[in-house]
Amino acid sequence: MSLTLILSVIFLAGGLFFFTTATIGLLRFPDFFSRLHATGKGDTLAVLLSLIGLGFYEGISLTSLKIVFIAVFMFLAQPTATHAISRAGLRSGLKPWMKEEKKG
Amino acid sequence: MNEFLFSIGIGLCILVFFVLYRVVYGPGVFNRIAALSAIGTKTLIILLIIGFLYNRVEMFIDISLVYALLNLIGTLAAAKYLEMEGVKQ
Amino acid sequence: MIQKSDDIIIKTLARILVPFIQIYALYVIMHGHYSPGGGFQGGVILAASLILLMITHGVKDTQKRISEKAVAIFSSSGVLIYAGIGVLCLVLFGNFLDYSTLAKILHVDPAHARSYGILGIEIGVGLAVMAVMFSVFFDISQGESSGEDKEN
Repeated sequence: MSLTLILSVIFLAGGLFFFTTATIGLLRFPDFFSRLHATGKGDTLAVLLSLIGLGFYEGISLTSLKIVFIAVFMFLAQPTATHAISRAGLRSGLKPWMKEEKKG
Repeated sequence: MNEFLFSIGIGLCILVFFVLYRVVYGPGVFNRIAALSAIGTKTLIILLIIGFLYNRVEMFIDISLVYALLNLIGTLAAAKYLEMEGVKQ
Repeated sequence: MIQKSDDIIIKTLARILVPFIQIYALYVIMHGHYSPGGGFQGGVILAASLILLMITHGVKDTQKRISEKAVAIFSSSGVLIYAGIGVLCLVLFGNFLDYSTLAKILHVDPAHARSYGILGIEIGVGLAVMAVMFSVFFDISQGESSGEDKEN
């Protein structure tokens, strides 16, 4: 078992873990804006970790350079898409979820 | 290593089915668009894993890069349309 | 009419990304032999870059960069390249689109002449597809603004 193989297994397992927690957050959070927190941050980190893991598996070649391109593009584009859709939700009049005040 | 990649792919497919619940039952249209963007992100990794399993990575890299691009443009266009029209919940 | 977006994050991202998307589209057109791609796919990615520019910057700023006259010239020249290579093969005593007769002009063996002929055809197809998809999107977005009626 060489070093690159062990590293790629660790990064891929970490990517799967963050995908799972992002999906659980998307299902269980009470409001649209909090669901955007879960999927915007969790999914981006999980994609970056998975791509690094796959890049270590491949070695140094043209394919791993293209994987680096995909990672840079995902790092730029996914937070911007989250920002755009949250702005659209705010402009359309969605109210954020507040915890009810306990009286007494 | 092939069995490990195959199990990661199966795990991601199960996660896609869980996100489909939010696409079907999300109250309103904004939840559905956010969930579709999440499905697109998971599909990108599944495509790369399939490329590694078939031992032809050079073919699947180009396809996955184009798919990431189209996912971004679709989400931006949908967000702009919803902002202009003023959707009632 | 698609208005200009008043958010600085989205506008900056579109300005950074559009040249790189166009370079990648040219790569996809040129490598049609060896990897998935070719003329039609590269033309669609070129049109997607222009549509990204249009939905973030509005119609007026995009028309300053590509006017309707330039789009018409692109589509016509794409078809001209395609038909021109075919008629050139006819003139050189071959069938229509028989690329091996191009070996007389280019001074290479017939296998290389076929490769160059297909490359020229793909470039023509890519230009035509980009122009047509952009103009279809432009016309549909224009027609929507004149068809809406306000009910009070």
